[in-house]
Amino acid sequence: MNNRILNNIKKDFVIEFRNKTAISISVAFAVITTLSISLVSGATPLSPMVHSIIFWIILFFSAMSGLAHTFIREEEEKTSLFLSLHCTPEEIYLSKLIFNTALFLSIAVIVTPLYLFFLQVLPVYLPLFCFITLSGAVAIASVATIFGAMVSKAGSGSSLFTIISFPILLPVLWTTITVTAISIEGTAVKQYRDIVFLLAFSGVIVLTSYLSFRFIWKET
Amino acid sequence: MKTVIYFLFILTLFVLMPAVIVTALSWVPTVELLGNSGRILYFHVPLAFLSVLSFVTAGYQSLMVLITSNKMKEREYKAYNAALAGIFFTILTIITGSIWAKISWGSFWNWDPRETSIVYLMLIYISYFCLYSVLKDNENRYRISSVYLIIAMIVMPFFVFIIPRMYNSLHPNTIINSEGKIQLEYTMRLTLFMSIAVFTLLYGYIYNIMNRISALEIKAEEKIYDI
Repeated sequence: MNNRILNNIKKDFVIEFRNKTAISISVAFAVITTLSISLVSGATPLSPMVHSIIFWIILFFSAMSGLAHTFIREEEEKTSLFLSLHCTPEEIYLSKLIFNTALFLSIAVIVTPLYLFFLQVLPVYLPLFCFITLSGAVAIASVATIFGAMVSKAGSGSSLFTIISFPILLPVLWTTITVTAISIEGTAVKQYRDIVFLLAFSGVIVLTSYLSFRFIWKET
Repeated sequence: MKTVIYFLFILTLFVLMPAVIVTALSWVPTVELLGNSGRILYFHVPLAFLSVLSFVTAGYQSLMVLITSNKMKEREYKAYNAALAGIFFTILTIITGSIWAKISWGSFWNWDPRETSIVYLMLIYISYFCLYSVLKDNENRYRISSVYLIIAMIVMPFFVFIIPRMYNSLHPNTIINSEGKIQLEYTMRLTLFMSIAVFTLLYGYIYNIMNRISALEIKAEEKIYDI
């Protein structure tokens, strides 16, 4: 991989480990929501579909609260111009995409066991549950990266980020919620074709974003 | 020459539109089990088609904004107007669909995959207008909003064509189906395609007027700055 991309990813990780803004916001949000739901629902059994909806809403809003930060930070700290001098827009996009995907996968890895533990859920099809969580996380991260760049260049906050990302992410949420419910319930046929759908969706988003990123990043 | 073509276009539109309405409401036989309520098909399907067509037009104009260096302002307002017309047709599709759903399935809204996919389109249009209004004074507005419309156009087939076919739907697959055959009687098929063609002409007419108004607004703005 290109050295500049690696250096950029390394830089983002160093900054993230130093001030832990994105990960702490996202994880704190996810933990607070999971615990609140667990506390309120108590011993009341929830249906697999309700579990699935709550689980993906927690993951979605965790992403919305943390993933735009990587681009917004560059604008706030006035480092985007320096970054543009050092790397091409495509390199910046790829490094941010890899960083966001890694960050969101780590958030999912922390949040998923917490949710399963506190709400006492054990998916019947565990491999399907893991695959759908991973492919859903990749799809959310790929959409969040390009829209994070748009929001940072628009000089706007996280509310706009949620508004513009939500409609594009709806097919992802629809598929992941349905398949997660199936994997928890274990009554329907395992639907691995939905994972293919999510990966195809992510591929299309990444390709389009890669080709159009320079138009967002470079100012006229 | 241009005036003559425009006159013929208007004439065709104003002759064919009443003809299609009369044909759809009286000439075509009623749909089995649905009765006269099935006649809404000849208005609902063309409106849904125009929602998608506006989406593609907005995406195409946005793509041209990015790949060509001339007429950017013109292409930008053309993309915006296509989206504006698109949201109008999407709302009309939802309204006609809900009326038909109430008659056929018993409730206005059933969360059917195809009903939901048209709401996706509407949400994307709303998000685009939010983004556009936030970027009002941003120098990079035309580029950022164009990229949004291009991404939306590219993911649109996922929720208009793929998702509704992945899950069970209450909608019949009469036109696009796995057998590759149009399952409509000849007169119904003729009326439906005539209706789609005439509604597309109407869309062209409305879109043209919107673009001319935008062009005049820009000219007026430039004149004000000159003074």
